[in-house]
Amino acid sequence: MRLALLFVLLLPACLAKPFHQKGLFDFMLEDEGSADMPPTEDPILTGFGPVCPFRCQCHLRVVQCSDLGLDKVPKDLPPDTTLLDLQNNKITEIKEGDFKNLKNLHALILVNNKISKISPAAFVPLKKLERLYLSKNNLKELPENMPKSLQEIRAHENEISKLRKTVFSGLNQVIVLELGTNPLKSSGIENGAFQGMKRLSYIRIADTNITSIPKGLPPSLTELHLDGNKINKIDADSLSGLTNLAKLGLSFNSISSVENGSLNNVPHLRELHLNNNELPRVPGGLGEHKYIQVVYLHNNKIASIGINDFCPLGYNTKKATYSGVSLFSNPVQYWEIQPSAFRCIHERSAVQIGNYK
Amino acid sequence: MKEYVLLLFLALCSAKPLIGPSYFTLKNVMLQDMEDDDDDDDNNSLFPTTEPIIPLIPFDLFPICPFGCQCYVRVVHCSDLGLTSIPRNIPPDTRMIDLQNNKIREVKENDLQGLASLYALALNNNKISKIHPKAFQSTKKLGRLYLSHNQLTEIPINLPKSLVELRIHANKVKKIHKEAFKGMKSLHVLEMSANPLNNDGIEPGAFEGVNIYHIRIAEAKLTSVPKELPSSLLELHLDDNKITTIELEDFNRYKDLQRLGLGNNKIKDVENGSFANIPRVREIHLEKNKLKKVPPGLPDLKYLQVVFLHSNHIAKLGVNDFCPTGGRKKKALYSGISLFNNPVKYWEVQPATFRCILARNSVQLTNFLQ
Repeated sequence: MRLALLFVLLLPACLAKPFHQKGLFDFMLEDEGSADMPPTEDPILTGFGPVCPFRCQCHLRVVQCSDLGLDKVPKDLPPDTTLLDLQNNKITEIKEGDFKNLKNLHALILVNNKISKISPAAFVPLKKLERLYLSKNNLKELPENMPKSLQEIRAHENEISKLRKTVFSGLNQVIVLELGTNPLKSSGIENGAFQGMKRLSYIRIADTNITSIPKGLPPSLTELHLDGNKINKIDADSLSGLTNLAKLGLSFNSISSVENGSLNNVPHLRELHLNNNELPRVPGGLGEHKYIQVVYLHNNKIASIGINDFCPLGYNTKKATYSGVSLFSNPVQYWEIQPSAFRCIHERSAVQIGNYK
Repeated sequence: MKEYVLLLFLALCSAKPLIGPSYFTLKNVMLQDMEDDDDDDDNNSLFPTTEPIIPLIPFDLFPICPFGCQCYVRVVHCSDLGLTSIPRNIPPDTRMIDLQNNKIREVKENDLQGLASLYALALNNNKISKIHPKAFQSTKKLGRLYLSHNQLTEIPINLPKSLVELRIHANKVKKIHKEAFKGMKSLHVLEMSANPLNNDGIEPGAFEGVNIYHIRIAEAKLTSVPKELPSSLLELHLDDNKITTIELEDFNRYKDLQRLGLGNNKIKDVENGSFANIPRVREIHLEKNKLKKVPPGLPDLKYLQVVFLHSNHIAKLGVNDFCPTGGRKKKALYSGISLFNNPVKYWEVQPATFRCILARNSVQLTNFLQ
């Protein structure tokens, strides 16, 4: 009955120009078939083509869609986009076609959403993607098939408990990898996970549950940040091969021993942070270290300081002078330290022993 | 790679203070839209010629990149580090500092001292409740300032006049002082949604002399369209407020407006002639309001292509609600009209109502799944 009425109603429309009678007819019929379906939330824009999504700003190929309460990636993004900022939204999932035309995209910012799922094909079109920011989401694992062009990956504050080898395979351009604040355990890091990342220079796995320095880190590494973990011991070989390492952050762990020889593996170390641990003594090998300039050892259990803990025996062979040594908040009393323990330090203020500000 | 090793080697041999790893090969997209003012010294930035500022504290003598941060091509990346204050040792030639997702509470007087080249500063997702009035004294080139998701109660005073984009989403801003944007001749984008701002919080004259193109004050406490926003506006987004009516003079100043977002308000009426003030508008969003009929004046908007009216109380559609009559013509056909979730019955709609649409599926009258 209703259908018949519809026909009658639509008849005059067939003659009207330039009206698209068939189209209207079609969509009304579609509705007939799905009368009790939930309402659609997304109106369709037709023939609009790629355009700056409403409420976003598009300027110089940067598409800025942060803070909009979006629950999905907007459609029809301009294909020449180089930077897409979608942070602070409510996106729950990255679907296969979400980035389909964005072959010029260099940076993708998905920080602070609710993403728990990324389709394995989602990133495939992004042949030029260099930076991928996934921090503050609900990911349980890093996505598969990340673009080989990536230079920087940030996945801070997710629910990542596993790092599988296949996830990083082929990612040989990555320079920066940030994986802090995840429920990651040492057993969750697959053997050789970082193998092949031959340009990796900076890695940060802070505030996780790992209990040891990850194995198989690439020799290209210059910075290793592992603060706020549950590491209790530095094994002699745990830093082996890291000949380019310049900065090592291990503060806020529960390290009670640094095996002799550990620091010999990192001959170019400049800065070592071991504050807020359980160390009973100054780690061995600092005296012979040629380039070390900053050593943080405050808030430990160091009860005494040996005369050769920091400076080389005999002739000063150091190539860089200390600029910061912190020892405050340790049981050692400053009057028990022999002044010659710091004989290779020319700047008196470079050493902080007392608890002053 | 070879160059990298060479540089490292050089740095080691000369035993200068350590400079952060040289990611000079990293192309920086973030900076692509920045003014290329003094760009020719990019490589020199690896070996800064000036001494770090505030060398009073011993540890400041040392590295030219804060520990845990990454410094490359004059970008200092310090996000997600749990920092409680802005780090010292920021290289003085830095163009962009990313400090988002930390625990910074305050921007202090000297935190940004000497950063004369700084163009972009991201401080979003911190706990900032205080910005010292002199904090931005040195940053005379700052164009983009991101302060979203902090605890600010007002637009900070003495922001640099050079600002192009200011984002203060999700703070506690209740007030925009008369002087807040004074002299900001280049300010183009202002995003200050999700703040408890009402109409009285905007002091008269606050937007005088500024040329903002895009303003978004969504998720606030506005009860009417603010009338004193800049006349340069191309986009005005006021969704998720408590606006009840659109009055004749509301858009008086905004002659160039192209996109208007008023979705999810409590709008019952649109006064006759209101839209005649914005003849160039291309897109009007009025979904999720309390409209009983299609707002008047749409047929006269020659460039209007998108009208969202879904989820209102519209019970009837007039045959001339959308399209012009007589010899008058639209310059652009409608590409999206949404009318679903309204009490109007589709069989009561005269098909000729939509005689000026672009394609068959440009109109959504009823609920259906795609």
